[in-house]
Amino acid sequence: MTTHPHPLRLTTVGIQDSVRIEVQGDVDYDSADLLLEEVTAQLAARPALTDVHLSCAGLGTVDSMGLSALLMVGRRTTVAGVRLHLDDRPAYLDRLLELTGTLDYLTAPVPSGAAEPSVTEERAARPTGPDRPT
Amino acid sequence: MWWLVDDTDHQLAREALHMERERTAFLAKASSTLLASLNLGRCMDVTAQMAAESLADAALTVAPARGGRLPVVTCLRGGAPAVSTLTVDPDDVPGLGEALRGFPPVPSRWIDPATAPAWMVPEGFGPVGSIVVTPLPGHGVPAGALIMLRKAEAAAFSDEEEVFTRLFAARAGAAMSAARLYAEQTAITDVLMRELLPPVLHQISGVDFAGRYRPSADHERIGGDFYDVHPAAVEGEASLVSLGDVCGKGLEAAVLTGKIRNTLHALLPLADDHQRMLRLLNSALLSSHHTRFATMVLASAVRRGSTVDLRLTSGGHPSPLIIRADGTVEQADTHGTLIGALPNISATTVEASLAPGESCVLFTDGITEAKGGPMGNVLFGEERLKRALSGCAGMPAEGIVEHVQMLAAQWLGNRPHDDMAVVVIATPRTHHLSAVNGHTRGRYTA
Repeated sequence: MTTHPHPLRLTTVGIQDSVRIEVQGDVDYDSADLLLEEVTAQLAARPALTDVHLSCAGLGTVDSMGLSALLMVGRRTTVAGVRLHLDDRPAYLDRLLELTGTLDYLTAPVPSGAAEPSVTEERAARPTGPDRPT
Repeated sequence: MWWLVDDTDHQLAREALHMERERTAFLAKASSTLLASLNLGRCMDVTAQMAAESLADAALTVAPARGGRLPVVTCLRGGAPAVSTLTVDPDDVPGLGEALRGFPPVPSRWIDPATAPAWMVPEGFGPVGSIVVTPLPGHGVPAGALIMLRKAEAAAFSDEEEVFTRLFAARAGAAMSAARLYAEQTAITDVLMRELLPPVLHQISGVDFAGRYRPSADHERIGGDFYDVHPAAVEGEASLVSLGDVCGKGLEAAVLTGKIRNTLHALLPLADDHQRMLRLLNSALLSSHHTRFATMVLASAVRRGSTVDLRLTSGGHPSPLIIRADGTVEQADTHGTLIGALPNISATTVEASLAPGESCVLFTDGITEAKGGPMGNVLFGEERLKRALSGCAGMPAEGIVEHVQMLAAQWLGNRPHDDMAVVVIATPRTHHLSAVNGHTRGRYTA
């Protein structure tokens, strides 16, 4: 983090209806916005998109703002009806997602339709399919 | 043969050049002196002093009125600036009311020096010869006005001098305006900080509580960790402890922290159902604009006989650790979703009971993710924390908190760190009936 900063680099490759973004470096307080902007731009530029792959093999540290950005990415892809895949997750990312109870949400196999359930709806049905390893 | 050379123009040009150089030097000095400070009072002092030294016999810096009172700094040439707050009407001075409202300056020759009110003329100044009132332009709003006085025997202000005064005023106004904005921001931060400071904990209804918070040494002063202890409304019911970590830092984190603490307080009547509390809190925090979230642990603690019964629920937060009397450290088996970002959350609650001398430690990841050690890049980690805690068996709550913070601080050395918060709930070893210290409401026997 402060001792060894790895600046975030994003490499985007689009193939027809899917796009792969290679995430290298830290997704943290200073850089989290970049990731969100990139995904949002891809969603806007490719209306026919069905899948967004974030390739996490080169991922550095992810702090709370980084996780917040990932959740926003999840929210935007869900709204757009696009599947989000977090590929090649390092073990510590899995631990972070498990601890915060967000693993299912971010790796849910099928987007649950259009918009998210409303705020007041308590414990609405979640996508119940088995987690597909991505 | 005689040659007659007319060098008047040459002389004039040289004089003009000399004067221009002096003025440039003066403005450069003004800028560097004024910008060296973000203190509004100091900026007003410097402005009055520089004007009195170089442009007039006396100068007054006037800040916009606050509640009918006018902050004024007066400076005589060769004297020290004097601060005063006057209950006067700025419109009594021709041009001052306009200048404070940001209108262009009134030419000096329009202002009759005889109309100068007594507060404007410094003691021992004598009769006033001429007056210039110049607005100090700020960022969007006027930063104040500069009044300059010359004695009756001195030359009046020329048009050129008035123009130059405006150049100086532009610099002074920008500096005062920046200082004012900074002061306002500091005031906001201070108010928020005061509101967000964690409470001092003590024994409540036979349960020991201790907590400590070490904010990040980062320049953004408000961090994202918080804790609270809410004593039960009715004797014999559980007190609620909340400890959490808000994502991000700075004002936005502070605002979210405030929201969480207030909402939890309002939800206290539901404290016997942690899951419901977290669900309601989650929907209160959910926003379509952002996914800022908090992770937190709720703990309800109530004294039953000699033991303390606990219910613990984690909302995406590191699980609490329980220190048993024999030094075993157990991790409470509670897991849940972070709060404030997802439409649906789930959480599990576990129950535990603490015998006398046993305790439960709630902490934020600032402790376990403290980076340091001998090599400087190793995380403190949960394992190291557990080992350290196993040596704390039987220690009082205050001692455990102290010990954990000390170990983390040692591990860190001088390296930067995140916020670190620790709360310990412990069952005191009370063996006698007189364990009443003013904080306790009842008496307990072991």
